[in-house]
Amino acid sequence: MQAKDSNPPDGGYGWVVVVSAFMVMGLTAAVLKTFGLFFVEIQQHFDELASTTSWITSVTIAIFHLGAPVASSLCVRYTHRAVVITGGLLAFSGMALGFLGLSIAWMYATIGFLQGLGISFSWTPAISIVSHYFSKKRALANAIASAGECAFALTFGPFFQWLISQYGWKGALLIIGGIQLNICVCGVLMRPLASSCLPEASHSGTETPPGNTASRIDKEAKPPITHKTFNWMLVRQPEFVLYAIFGILAAMSFFVPPLFLVPLSYSLGIDESWTASLLSILAMVDFAGRLLCGWYASLHVTKTVHLLAMTITLISTSLMLLPLANNYLSLAVFTGFYGFFFGTTVAVHITVLADVVGMPDFDSALGLFMLIRSSGGFVGPPLAGMIVDVAGDYRAGFYMAGATLVLSAGFLVTLDQLQQRKERGNKTNNKPEKPVLPYPSLHLLKLQ
Amino acid sequence: EKNITLNNATIIELSCKLDKKYSHLKNLQVTWKWGNETIGHINKTENSWSIRLKILDNSKLGSYRCTLKGKEEIGAVFHLQVPKIGGKEKPIVSYEGDTAVLICKSPDYTPIAWTWYMTNGSEQIAINDSLMADKYVISSISANVTHLKITNLAQEDDGVYWCEAAFELGKSKGKLKLKVLSLMVPLKPFLAILAEVVILVTIIFLYEAYSKKKEK
Repeated sequence: MQAKDSNPPDGGYGWVVVVSAFMVMGLTAAVLKTFGLFFVEIQQHFDELASTTSWITSVTIAIFHLGAPVASSLCVRYTHRAVVITGGLLAFSGMALGFLGLSIAWMYATIGFLQGLGISFSWTPAISIVSHYFSKKRALANAIASAGECAFALTFGPFFQWLISQYGWKGALLIIGGIQLNICVCGVLMRPLASSCLPEASHSGTETPPGNTASRIDKEAKPPITHKTFNWMLVRQPEFVLYAIFGILAAMSFFVPPLFLVPLSYSLGIDESWTASLLSILAMVDFAGRLLCGWYASLHVTKTVHLLAMTITLISTSLMLLPLANNYLSLAVFTGFYGFFFGTTVAVHITVLADVVGMPDFDSALGLFMLIRSSGGFVGPPLAGMIVDVAGDYRAGFYMAGATLVLSAGFLVTLDQLQQRKERGNKTNNKPEKPVLPYPSLHLLKLQ
Repeated sequence: EKNITLNNATIIELSCKLDKKYSHLKNLQVTWKWGNETIGHINKTENSWSIRLKILDNSKLGSYRCTLKGKEEIGAVFHLQVPKIGGKEKPIVSYEGDTAVLICKSPDYTPIAWTWYMTNGSEQIAINDSLMADKYVISSISANVTHLKITNLAQEDDGVYWCEAAFELGKSKGKLKLKVLSLMVPLKPFLAILAEVVILVTIIFLYEAYSKKKEK
C-alpha cells in the first residue's frame, strides 16, 4: 500500500485521496466563501460598524495565507495526514469558541485566527498530497479535488441560511464547526507515501522490514535527503520567481470580478434575485470548467504551461468584453465565460507549479507560492476600488482585472521560453557527455 | 388607486383628472366622498375636479373617493395614511442568558417618538426601560432608528414584539418575533456530528491497521 513518491500510484488509493481532498476543499474554502451570510447578524449583535465586522474575514484570509508556508514545512517534517487533522481540530475550535461570542475581539481571535489557521493547515496539505499521489493524471486529480470548493459553495449558501434561521448565528457556528471536524476524517484517509515517511521509517514500529530496507536503499540511491526541511532556495530559481510574479498579478485580478459583479449588476438595473442567480451561474460554470480542464490536461495533448497561458488569455478576453454587457442576458453570458475559464485556470495552476519546481520541492513551493500570491490578493481589491472611484464606473474594475491578467500571461510565456531554452540546452549538453564516459575507461585499460 | 403617505400636518389637494378617452362624456356629476361623508367644495377646471384638505390630525386620514357619474361611472381612490414601519419577517433567534437587540427603522420619515410593546397572551404591554433598567434598554442612534436591548434572556421573553412610531398625524407599528432557544437545541445535532466523526475515524484507523496486518 505504501508506494514510493518517485513512482506515484497514479490511481488506486490515489482516488480515495482525491475524494478526501475534494471534501477538505469544500469544508474549508466553501465555508470561507459563504461566511458573508453571518456578516449582518454578527454586526447587529455586537452593534459594530460594517468595517469593523469585515475585519473578521480579513483576519481569516490573512492567517490562511500566512499559515500556508508553515503548513507546508510541517507537512515536510510530519505527514500531510497529521497536519490536516490538526487543521481540522483548529478550525473546529475556532467555530466552537466563536459560538460563545463574547466580544468582537473574541471573534477576531476565534473565527479570524483559529479558523484561518485551521483552514490553512487543512487546505495546503490536501492540495499537496494529491499532487504527490499522481504524475500522469495529476492535472485531472487536482481539478477534481479543487472542484470540491464549487460543489460545496453551491449547497452551503442555502444550507447556512437555514441553519441561521433555525439556530441563530451562534448555534449555526457551533454546528458548522462540528461539520468541519469531518476534515479530520478526511485527514485520516490521507495515507502518507513511503518516501515522504523518511524520518518516520526509523520511528514507527509498524513499518514492515522490507519497507524499511527499501527506503534505506532509496536513501543511498538519492544524494543528500531531498529537502526534508523547508526549501528557501526556491526563491533563487528563476522559474519559480517568474511563476510567483505570475501568481501575484493573477491574484490581483482574481478577487476583483466577484467583488464588482454584484454592484455592476445593480447599476444595470438588475434586481436582487437575478443577481443572485448570476452568482449561481458563476459557481456552476466554475465547477464545469475545473472538471473539463482537468480532463483535458490529463490527455497531455498540450503542455500545462501552454494550457494555463491559454486559459488566462481567455479569462482576460471575457473580462475585457464583460463591460459591454448592458442587460441581464449579456451579463449572464459573459459571466458564464468568465466563470468557466476561471475554473479552468484554477484547475491547472497547481499542476503547473508542480511541473515548474518538481515534486521534491513541491510542498515548500506551494507554501511559498501561497504566501507570495497573497500580496497580490491584498493589493488587488483596494487598487481596483481606487480605479473604480476615479473612473466613476464599475466597468473600470473589470478592465483593470483583464489588463493585469494579460500582463501575468506575459510572465507565463517568459517562463515557458526559459524552460524550453533549458531543455534545448540540456539536450545539447547530453551529447558530449556520452563520449566522455568511455574515455576514462580507455585510460584505465591503457594503464593496465 | 393611490397611496399617499403623510408625515406632518399639511394641506393637500387631491384632483381627479379625466382621461382623454373619456372626454366625449358630457353632463358629468362629480362627487367626492370620505367614507360616507360627502365633501362640498369642489374646484372644477376644464377636465379635473379637485378638493383641498387640511390634515391636522389622525381624524382626517383615510380613503377619499371621487366618482364621476355620467352614462358610465368611473372613479378613483386616494388612501391617506401615516408612514408604515417595516418589522422583520424572519424571527430573531437568540439563546437563554444571552442578549438580543431588536431594531426598528423608519428611513424615509422621522417619527416623533418610539414605543416598544411586548405581547403577553393577547395583550400588548408597553416596555418601560426605566422601570426594568437591568433587563431592557431602549436607545436610538438617530431619530429614524430605535434599538431595544434585552439582556439575560429567558423563555418568557420569547414571543412577538411591537415597535410603535408616533408621527404627527398618528401612530404606526412594526412587528418583530423573538425566539429564545436553550443551549441544548444546537448541542444535539452537534453531538450527533461529533459521534459520526469519532465513529468514522475509528473505522478508518481500524481498517488501515487491519490491511497493514494483512500485508505482513
